[in-house]
Amino acid sequence: MIFRAVEDADLIERVRRGDVEAFNLLISRWEKRVYNYLLRLTANPEDSLDLSQEVFLKAYQNIRKLDDAARFGPWLYRIAHNEAYSMFRKKRPEFVSDDAGFADTQAAPGMALDLSLAVTTALDRLSADQREAVILKVYQGFKFEEMAEILQCPVSTVKSRLYTALDLLKTQLAPVSAKGN
Amino acid sequence: MESCKQLEAVRDYAFEELTPADRGAVERHLPQCAECRQELDHLRLTTAALRVLPDVEIPQRIAFVSDKVFEASRWSRWFTGARLGFASALLLAVALVAVVYRQPAVVPVTVAGAGPSAAAITLQIDDAVTKAVAQVREDDMRMTRAALEVSDRKHSEEHRNLLLAVEENLTVLEKRYNTLTSLSAAGFGGGQ
Repeated sequence: MIFRAVEDADLIERVRRGDVEAFNLLISRWEKRVYNYLLRLTANPEDSLDLSQEVFLKAYQNIRKLDDAARFGPWLYRIAHNEAYSMFRKKRPEFVSDDAGFADTQAAPGMALDLSLAVTTALDRLSADQREAVILKVYQGFKFEEMAEILQCPVSTVKSRLYTALDLLKTQLAPVSAKGN
Repeated sequence: MESCKQLEAVRDYAFEELTPADRGAVERHLPQCAECRQELDHLRLTTAALRVLPDVEIPQRIAFVSDKVFEASRWSRWFTGARLGFASALLLAVALVAVVYRQPAVVPVTVAGAGPSAAAITLQIDDAVTKAVAQVREDDMRMTRAALEVSDRKHSEEHRNLLLAVEENLTVLEKRYNTLTSLSAAGFGGGQ
């Protein structure tokens, strides 16, 4: 992880010196993660792909504004978060934030179908804020401090959203987990 | 019943968000507190269950930067087609002007053999043109070599990108395998 951060910082420096290929390399490293984050927020593959393209375009245009190259990840996800919510706002009134979720998410091949469905349903029942906290922590592996940077809120709020969400998920998933045991 | 005051620290511990000192404190607390041990188990089971939903592959690579990468550079765009022809002609014209300018002024004397003959001037012009053409060819060769080097570098970079992507995919697969193994050990596959 540290090795990766150093390498990203090096690539960012090269991008700032006008090396477009370095940015291409950055994209190849981050595109899958950003796409999956957006897919879990929007539950729409086409929107997620379009948004991913917008995210990287904005990142390229604004990379000189990034103060600390070591914070590229949270900075990139902040752009992704803003792009997703900007799209949600444009889609009003059809869009209701709590409706976006995991409805179209596919289960892992070979996984217990009932558990995958239970997880999908349970995540759908969370509020958008709670769901995003779970996505950033459990699926994207960000630290609380980074999540606070992405979501532009205090660490205490991030933790509150995450732990409340996990309490709800625990209650909803417990019967399924027990059945699997 | 009042919850244990260490409960939040235990949750932070589960997500590896504590300093080494705080981790030590939680690890000393856990054997003495059934509530916190249960909370830790629940958190681990819940996050393990959540991870049954895998990341998916991006349906198509993000392309806009790749397009830019493969666009010709400003330098090479300038030296193409008509512009290259124009540049060559300009260079030739400059060379001719220089040759004529450096010629001693033709003094209108009628003494035979006192100035360069017309044939000598033609030879000098031919010589200058030959040199100018050679210069243009040399410039062309240099630019072609530079373009080939850039192309080679791009191919090397692409190859490196591909290797990195393969390496990352292998890492993800390894993580998934580990997750599946741990889930299997925890009994999540039993519902099949």
